[in-house]
Amino acid sequence: MDATLHKQSFWSKYIFSTDHKVIGMQYAIMGIIMAGVGGFLAYVFRYNLAYPNASIPLFGHLSATQYNAFVTCHGMIMVFWVGMPVLLSALGNLLIPLMIGTDDMAFPTVNMLSFWIFFLSAVVLLASFFVPGGAFGGGWTMYPPFSAGGYVNHNPHFFTALFSGVSLMILAVALELVAMLMGGINFVVTTINKRTKGMTAFRVPIVVWFINIASVIFMFSVGPLVAGAFMLLFDNILGTGFYDPARGGDPMLWEHLFWFFGHPEVYVLLLPALGVLAEILPVFARKPLFGYKPIIYMALVSAVLSVLVWAHHQFVAGIDPRMATFFSIGTILISIPFAGIFLSFMATLWKGSIKFSVPMMWVLGFIGLFLIGGLTGLFLGSNTFDIYAHDTYFVVAHFHYTLFPDIFFGFFAAIYYWFPKFTGKSLNAGLGKLHFWLTFFAFNVTWFVLFFNGLAGQHRRINDYSDFSLIMREPYITFEKIATISAIILILSQFIFLYNLFTSLAKAKKGVKNPWESNTLEWVADSPPPHGNFQTYPVVYHGPYEYSLPGEGADFLPQNVQGKNDTNNVTQNNYEHKTATSFATHK
Amino acid sequence: MEAVMTAPIQEKKITSDGIIGMVFVLATEAMFFAGLISAYIVNRAGVMVWPPAGQPRLPIEVTAVNTLVLLSSAFALYMFGRRVKSAAYIKIRSKGLLTAALLLGATFLAVQGTEWVKLVGYGLTTHSSLYGAFFYTLIGLHGAHVLVGLTILLYLFSSFRKPLPFGVLKSRIIACSMYWYFVVAIWPILYILVYLN
Ligand SMILES: [Cu+2]
Repeated sequence: MDATLHKQSFWSKYIFSTDHKVIGMQYAIMGIIMAGVGGFLAYVFRYNLAYPNASIPLFGHLSATQYNAFVTCHGMIMVFWVGMPVLLSALGNLLIPLMIGTDDMAFPTVNMLSFWIFFLSAVVLLASFFVPGGAFGGGWTMYPPFSAGGYVNHNPHFFTALFSGVSLMILAVALELVAMLMGGINFVVTTINKRTKGMTAFRVPIVVWFINIASVIFMFSVGPLVAGAFMLLFDNILGTGFYDPARGGDPMLWEHLFWFFGHPEVYVLLLPALGVLAEILPVFARKPLFGYKPIIYMALVSAVLSVLVWAHHQFVAGIDPRMATFFSIGTILISIPFAGIFLSFMATLWKGSIKFSVPMMWVLGFIGLFLIGGLTGLFLGSNTFDIYAHDTYFVVAHFHYTLFPDIFFGFFAAIYYWFPKFTGKSLNAGLGKLHFWLTFFAFNVTWFVLFFNGLAGQHRRINDYSDFSLIMREPYITFEKIATISAIILILSQFIFLYNLFTSLAKAKKGVKNPWESNTLEWVADSPPPHGNFQTYPVVYHGPYEYSLPGEGADFLPQNVQGKNDTNNVTQNNYEHKTATSFATHK
Repeated sequence: MEAVMTAPIQEKKITSDGIIGMVFVLATEAMFFAGLISAYIVNRAGVMVWPPAGQPRLPIEVTAVNTLVLLSSAFALYMFGRRVKSAAYIKIRSKGLLTAALLLGATFLAVQGTEWVKLVGYGLTTHSSLYGAFFYTLIGLHGAHVLVGLTILLYLFSSFRKPLPFGVLKSRIIACSMYWYFVVAIWPILYILVYLN
């Protein structure tokens, strides 16, 4: 270890650190805290849905305005302050440098700034709850005219308008997007330029590929949203009227700019989690990943398609029917590459010697739940059915069946799998399994019943159904209550995880390097990896999923270990001689 | 304790980190302006009388000259980049061309500012009409990019104080220049769409 590293103060080591692992943990911790906020909001408004006008334990009475704000912020927080930081930023930061065998990101200072801008964005969003009028309540999609002044927050003065719920939410989202952009550029440049010797493009683990593809999709689609967000902010604080039809503006413009980003965003969230699955499945099936290259190609195809389908969110808002057909076909087409990726995952399991470890359970749970989410998505992709189901609980249940496994099952799989690497300690497996089963059942009960409420016509933006006779009858009233009680169980089960996390962190370090007997490079480093990651940089001889190869001693072959068939791979490279001499000079 | 860490042995770099990073920054920026410009074109297409009655005309001639100022700034920067053949050049020769690029960029911004003050005086504001709203948003956000570009050029200027390996210096000049070229290249498009339309 470099002697100067021991002199780091607490502040430069844990707070304003430029170490990718510390920044990754900071993102993960912020994500967990924000998930707590988002979960609490969900608890409050779900309670209100089942028991209208009741006094809610730990909260009190929920007004209709507050209900709207809570639903809006729940969606915002779970997508932008939980999904993005934990799946893209935390995983990207923790994994990329270790998995490609390097010491840190390409731009460590930009990386640190990225986290602190993200932190600031979370503060701005939470502050919006405390301004006059409260947080914005016009839905997480922020459609004008609700979000463009006039209707909900009419503030004639510049500063009153600036410190209103809607303006602060726009600012918070803009800051968050800047933070993610800084992170994304770091990921891509690091992966392009800092791979260790022998780590050719098609030896890079899938999760690194997928985080990079997600970053590129994000960079491509975020610009128009930021442009739209500026115009929305100016409508609020400068009175521009871009989205106000009375003054020649066009509210549909926002919908296009928003969903041009909003739909690809789904894949920005999905791809890193699928990458986690691709890392964990071969390890616990003790088999090579089925179709490594096709999986990458299918992800690239889906990335291209992802920016061509956005208007399927606007079938009801009104678009040309010929265009609606185009977007319907695109939407159904994009399910083909994802079906391909899932089939590759299934094929990886086929005839494997499956170990039902805790991370593997989250992975299998993910696949099961996502199947339901994906199938209901096919229904909605058809604009004829979508017009019927629009804005009902059917849609809400559908996207919770995709986003919940994606964000939470993906993240928990990652935590249970990589926790030993980044702490040198291990989580309790029994508590992990209890956590999994409770989460899995409670989630299913909560959302499965709501498909039926949605098909019966229950609309998603109403806080009190007392006057709606079609919904206020059996079995739908009971379904509402079942969903709420089950959601509370779902939230309470997460305390098992927190308990497990804290008690495991309090244990002594064991520092086991490779507890799961995996192949990728992060398992070559110490547990936890020191600042700079590797004592000597590993050299890579083959792809990341070489399990149960015939003729090898063990049933796994780490990427830095030369296998029987790898003899010529590295020595044939023409830069071998050059790097060998530069290696000597650095000594 | 002796340091055992060795410098990373890596796969070949395509080009410097800074240049690749800048490519992605500019791709994002291009999409940002694509969003703004398409919003403008879509709204503009739906309006018969443009600019609306009672709203002042934009200063086409002054801005045409100002466009030339901005273009010549990019040209000065280009000539500067071409002339830097060694690290010694920057020490020995003055950084005249880079200074010229900076000053021309600042002039562009200053002229834009004075024209804005006049336009506000004539009654064109962000809330006077959609015409004004788009004008100030498009041109203002471009102006903000010019300001960022000038800051980047200043950073480039200041980085000559420390002695740097020529390779590092050269790729830094390229990365910083790329941003400025982008900011300059987007301007004629905006001039044609907003002023001449
Ligand atoms: Cu979509």
